[in-house]
Amino acid sequence: MVTGIGAVTPAGWGVEPFAAALRSGRTRIGGFSRFDHAAQRTHVAGQVPPEPAALSRLRGWHQLSNTDRFAVGAALEACHQAGLPWPLATPDAAVFFASSTGGLFETEAFVQTLIAPDGRAGRRRLLASYSLSAPGEAIARRLGVTGPVETVSSACAASALAIDQALRAIRRGEVEIAVTGGSDCLCLTTYSGFNALRAVDDRPCRPFRADRAGLSLGEGAAVLVLESLDHAEARGATPLAELMGAGASCDASHMTAPTPDGSWAAEAMRRALDDAGLDSSAIDFLNAHGTATPLNDAAESAAIGLVFGDRASSIPVEATKGVVGHLLGAAGAVEAVATLVSLGASTLHPTPAGGVLDPVLDVDVVVGAPRAVEALDTAMSANLGFGGANAAVILRRWSAA
Amino acid sequence: MVNEIALRQELKELIVRTLRFEGLTIDKLADDTPLFGDGLGLDSVDALELVVALEKAYGITIRSHEVDKSVFSSVESLGKFVARTLVATNDGRPVNAQ
Repeated sequence: MVTGIGAVTPAGWGVEPFAAALRSGRTRIGGFSRFDHAAQRTHVAGQVPPEPAALSRLRGWHQLSNTDRFAVGAALEACHQAGLPWPLATPDAAVFFASSTGGLFETEAFVQTLIAPDGRAGRRRLLASYSLSAPGEAIARRLGVTGPVETVSSACAASALAIDQALRAIRRGEVEIAVTGGSDCLCLTTYSGFNALRAVDDRPCRPFRADRAGLSLGEGAAVLVLESLDHAEARGATPLAELMGAGASCDASHMTAPTPDGSWAAEAMRRALDDAGLDSSAIDFLNAHGTATPLNDAAESAAIGLVFGDRASSIPVEATKGVVGHLLGAAGAVEAVATLVSLGASTLHPTPAGGVLDPVLDVDVVVGAPRAVEALDTAMSANLGFGGANAAVILRRWSAA
Repeated sequence: MVNEIALRQELKELIVRTLRFEGLTIDKLADDTPLFGDGLGLDSVDALELVVALEKAYGITIRSHEVDKSVFSSVESLGKFVARTLVATNDGRPVNAQ
């Protein structure tokens, strides 16, 4: 059961500003100031605004990297919504968390000082949370989680895979509560790297459009609190949704490019359906990975064709990255939260207008304005990462009956 | 001799300047505010930053066994330690104070 969600995105700190941005049909991708990008090919990204003072004045906040801060901010919101008092102080709770960059932004600042002409060592603090496991550990310290605390870092599928692990730990009965999600901060390494790949659009990204020209990077975090139904009911909590299943696969072919026929992405979607015990006809909409690179959107559309067959061109598709960008290790969790927001509102969020949909892809992407749908019940969120890492999760609106 | 009142003021300025974090200002830093735990909530990385800054500012060498809670518990204890070290090594005068 999902009993709490939290989000930190370019739209602000909290699920509410994120949900408002999704409804608005306007992008939060634009100019940014996180680091000097004058020498880069492109100049747009989705940057998180400064945190609220209630967070920045927490004891120990200065010891956290930006990625840690996004993670802790989202985790506190998710726990608050779940009605879980912290510290949880129990070994019956776990953290399964994802990050692609950890404290890389701060590490870059340290190294830049070190290699500057006057060659002074940077502030040691900047290196203290460089590791990929730092955000999950920061959450565990803040929430007092003393059960398993584990980190997944499989590129852009990482937080969907973390959610998968959290679900399995709950099903095994290993823990009663699993805090899961992902976090990443914009940094020069990823920004210049994706630019070197010519994978970044010089305008805010346009998923599934005929003239799409690449992704936009974003930053932030999302957290889901998962609990066994028994545990949630015993403490009188109302689940938001049921995490019904998850599945994963790997293309095992290329470092960055997806397999064009979408066969292994489809495999992850099928495994999620099998895990949930559902036929694809039970899925009311898909929150797509939709990076807006020519290759991703084509391979993903092919996968949708393989999984949904006759319904491939009619199942509604959400493309969240058009609003907040690609949050890398956080993408799967952010999009799971977007999926839950849509299920809760019985309304699919649009990707911002601009350009015609690619007729070759033949998918029904919600564009420009929200689309209300009667009886939205079950949804899939898919992520296709570098290294061929694919994952999908299936969420269903909760009804106690 | 070392003017300990002036030294404590200098140390507060050094702590604020070195650690630079939201909400940390000189007026929030009393002589007896605990630097770790329930006070400022500093950790060992902060202590390392402070050791480097103190060594640079006062031209002193701080050995690792000296970086303990009795020395780093507050501005007051830190002031006593720095004054003691300056007297022992340099007759009370900073070597390369910034």
